Amino acid sequence: MRKKITALLMIALLTVLTLGGCKSGSSGASTGSGGKILCLCTDLSDTFLGTLFGAMKTHASSLGATVDIVETGGSVEEQANQVAAAKAAGYTAIIMRLADASTALQMNVASNDIPIIYVNSQPSDEHLTANKYIFAGSSEEQAGQYQAEYVLSKLGNPKSLNVIIFEGEPGHAGTIGRTKAVKETLKASGCTANYVFVDYANWSADTAAYKLGIFMKTGQSVDAIFCNNDNMAIGAIEGMKKYGLDYTKIPVCGVDATTDGCASIEAGEMAFTVLQDADGQALAAVQAAVALGNGGTIEGIEYAESDGKYIYVPFTPVTASNVSQYK
Amino acid sequence: MSDNTQDKKKKVKKISTKLITYIVPLVTVTVLVLVAVASSMAKSRMTEMANETLESSISNQADNIESWLETNLKFFNTVKHTIEAEKPDNTQLQAMLDSFYGYNSSSPEGLYIGCSDGSFFKASESDFTASNVTDAEWYKQGITRVDMAYGTAYRNSENELVVSATGIIDDGDSDIKVIGADVTLNEISIIVNSGVKMSNASSFLVDKTDNTILAHRDFSLISSEITENSSDELISGAAKAINSGDYKTKEIGNYVVAFSEISGTDWILVSYIPTSVILKTVSQMGNLLMIIGVIAVAITVLAILYVVKRVIAPLAHITDSITAMSEGDFTITVDSSSNDEIGVMGNKVTEFVASMRNMLTSISQESEKLKDESDNSDRVSKIMFDASESQAEAMKQLNETVDQLATAVNDIAQNATTLATVVADTRDNSDKANESMKQTVEISQKGRQDMEKVSAAMSGIENANNELVESINKVGTASDEITNIVGMIGEIAEETNLLSLNASIEAARAGEAGKGFAVVATQIAKLAQTSAESAQNIGNLIGEVHKLIENAVGQANASAESIRENGELINVAVDTFDQIYNNIQESNQLIEAMIEDVQKVDDVATNVAAISEEQAASADEILATSENMVDMANNITKSSQDVADNSHELAGTSQTLTSYVQKFKI
Repeated sequence: MRKKITALLMIALLTVLTLGGCKSGSSGASTGSGGKILCLCTDLSDTFLGTLFGAMKTHASSLGATVDIVETGGSVEEQANQVAAAKAAGYTAIIMRLADASTALQMNVASNDIPIIYVNSQPSDEHLTANKYIFAGSSEEQAGQYQAEYVLSKLGNPKSLNVIIFEGEPGHAGTIGRTKAVKETLKASGCTANYVFVDYANWSADTAAYKLGIFMKTGQSVDAIFCNNDNMAIGAIEGMKKYGLDYTKIPVCGVDATTDGCASIEAGEMAFTVLQDADGQALAAVQAAVALGNGGTIEGIEYAESDGKYIYVPFTPVTASNVSQYK
Repeated sequence: MSDNTQDKKKKVKKISTKLITYIVPLVTVTVLVLVAVASSMAKSRMTEMANETLESSISNQADNIESWLETNLKFFNTVKHTIEAEKPDNTQLQAMLDSFYGYNSSSPEGLYIGCSDGSFFKASESDFTASNVTDAEWYKQGITRVDMAYGTAYRNSENELVVSATGIIDDGDSDIKVIGADVTLNEISIIVNSGVKMSNASSFLVDKTDNTILAHRDFSLISSEITENSSDELISGAAKAINSGDYKTKEIGNYVVAFSEISGTDWILVSYIPTSVILKTVSQMGNLLMIIGVIAVAITVLAILYVVKRVIAPLAHITDSITAMSEGDFTITVDSSSNDEIGVMGNKVTEFVASMRNMLTSISQESEKLKDESDNSDRVSKIMFDASESQAEAMKQLNETVDQLATAVNDIAQNATTLATVVADTRDNSDKANESMKQTVEISQKGRQDMEKVSAAMSGIENANNELVESINKVGTASDEITNIVGMIGEIAEETNLLSLNASIEAARAGEAGKGFAVVATQIAKLAQTSAESAQNIGNLIGEVHKLIENAVGQANASAESIRENGELINVAVDTFDQIYNNIQESNQLIEAMIEDVQKVDDVATNVAAISEEQAASADEILATSENMVDMANNITKSSQDVADNSHELAGTSQTLTSYVQKFKI
């Protein structure tokens, strides 16, 4: 009786081990060629996107992968069609800049189970799956955090601040994340921020300048101006020039370190911007595409988050002291 | 089985007890493990599900709040855009506000406008009051934006907690006009409190800019501030999470708490549910599983008992039978009605008993017989012992006799061998004599041949001597002729001398002219004189030779005579030799005949020696054999002694066997 029980236990154990062995065996990642990557971009004429996708090509060839870059324009349908056809065309992974960040789920479904690395426009967290549908880019919140930290340090960690924030378009991830991070960083530093003007300027310099005019009518004072991008910061500077505000005392911060933005900093107008590291993001995206395309994980790629959904390539702060490197 | 006759008494357990002691713990452990695994899996899965439900509920609520706020805001913005587009004067503005009044139930007081110069517009029917426009909270909030948005909650002049959607009217006027509309938090509270999609879950809404509670089931808590120092674990935990911006669902105290940001505002919706509620079902399930487990164990035990009873019952009877059997009782009967292995076992035991019974009966009979036979053999072996003893004695005597015989034969063999040796020597010697004889024959033969050769030589000598006489006679004849020739030479020499004298006379007449011729005639006269003298000498010599030849012929004749005499003597010697040869030949034949006889004697002697040696060997063998026989006889004696002992013992054993077999009940 006891022998039989022992035998049964041994059989059970062996079965478990065998099944376990099979499982671990089948998950062994095949390596070798870097794979074939489909890159979908909305607009290659955009400075940043052009740089980003151009850098992907360079990094892909050094990693032994081939990339095909397709410009889809703003059409969600075109993007969905491209994604749906990718697997049949032999692609092992897709890198894409969503035309509409809210359509990520649609793309996930259309991908026929090949991994997608979203870049530049971040989909909502619930539509990302670890090591399958991931985002490689920069954390919007980090941009806002860097802006706030810069201003606090520049103004000597004041107890209170009159703050203007020019936001991008409503509902945009950049708008929400950057604005939220500015507010949270200020609050966390113990500074009482008095938001004298917080409004959308839709990424537009003119709108920002115009809305600054309206702000001027309210007769309030301002200590710092945070803009969700460089364009609006340049608009704000224009407005300040017009209304006689001293932008050397009132720091104006942008995001993106565009050519105009850098020129403005070099001219001593804008105080601060952050550079999205297009090269770093492209490298991260391609590394992820190669790893996931070969059935691996993003673990081990620099800046990969432990949840397997994000690779956050850090922003680079740009001020007058280092702007010359980024022109 | 319980009364075991063995020395160490084993504790006897029933098979059913054994089975139960093995199986019940096993089943219990299995059931416990199953219950534990199921409970733990159910717990984690249900916690997960509860979290998901809570998150889904809070997300749904947040969506409701957002869409409610959004709808209202859209309405307000529409009004604002209309005003901005129309750029109405004060009367027109009043009319517009009036016309929108009552349009939106969420904002019962309608829209109102405050200007930087202190002027204030509102719908005529509205109860809204504003004493100091530019100091009003809503105005202060409004001047921070153009697009209308919700600000933080504040208490209005009626001491009601309100949230205002405000914004600057962008009509190009240099004066600042702020348009506002209030939504009461009561309505949001209703959404918050009634929108929970999970039973036993609750929610509250917090403004993260100042951490005040905007909506709560407990109205008294509305507008109170949540702090990390709060005595309420839930409140302090939520405050901590909000302050650190960590909006992941987590367990705080005895609650599972979910957070959701309301987009377009700084508000955080917090939903929570007591952990006990979630785990209640889990513990219920655990209990149920436990009960089922206990019942399963009980049923298993009963089932085992029943099965064991059914299956093993016949074993008890068989056990009793075997116990009786072990005590020697083969009169038992075994139940073999069961149709399983136990039935077969019973059947086989019955067969075994029957065959044992038969066997014991025959053993008993056989042992009786055996006893008789062993007694018999005991007796016989005793007789045999005696017989063998006398045989041994006889054998010993025989042995001695054979020994003597062997010695005698050995002597004979020795003698025969000596004889053979002597004969062999004789044969060798006669062989040698034969050899010498043969040589003698050869030599005598050779001597005769030599004598014949001498005889022949003697004949040759005689012939030669005769020829010599003849030759000498011829020489005599020749010397006579020489004498004649010499006489003729003398006559010639005298004539020559006369001639030379005539010549010398003539030469002297011839005077001087013949002087030379006179010299030659003188010389010829001298020569003729000399020749006459030589011829005279030769005639003398030949006479002497003639005399000598006559002597030689006489001597040769004498030797011829002696030679003939010798030849006759030699012929006599040859005849003698022949005589000797014949004699020797005869003696040789005699010797050969003798050698043949000696050879025969030798063969016979050798045979005799060999035979006598074989005899000696045989005698030795016979001796050895007889010694063996003596030993064997001794052994037989001993063996027959053993046989006698054994058969005695056997008799005893068969007696014992009989007594044992008689113990069995057959």
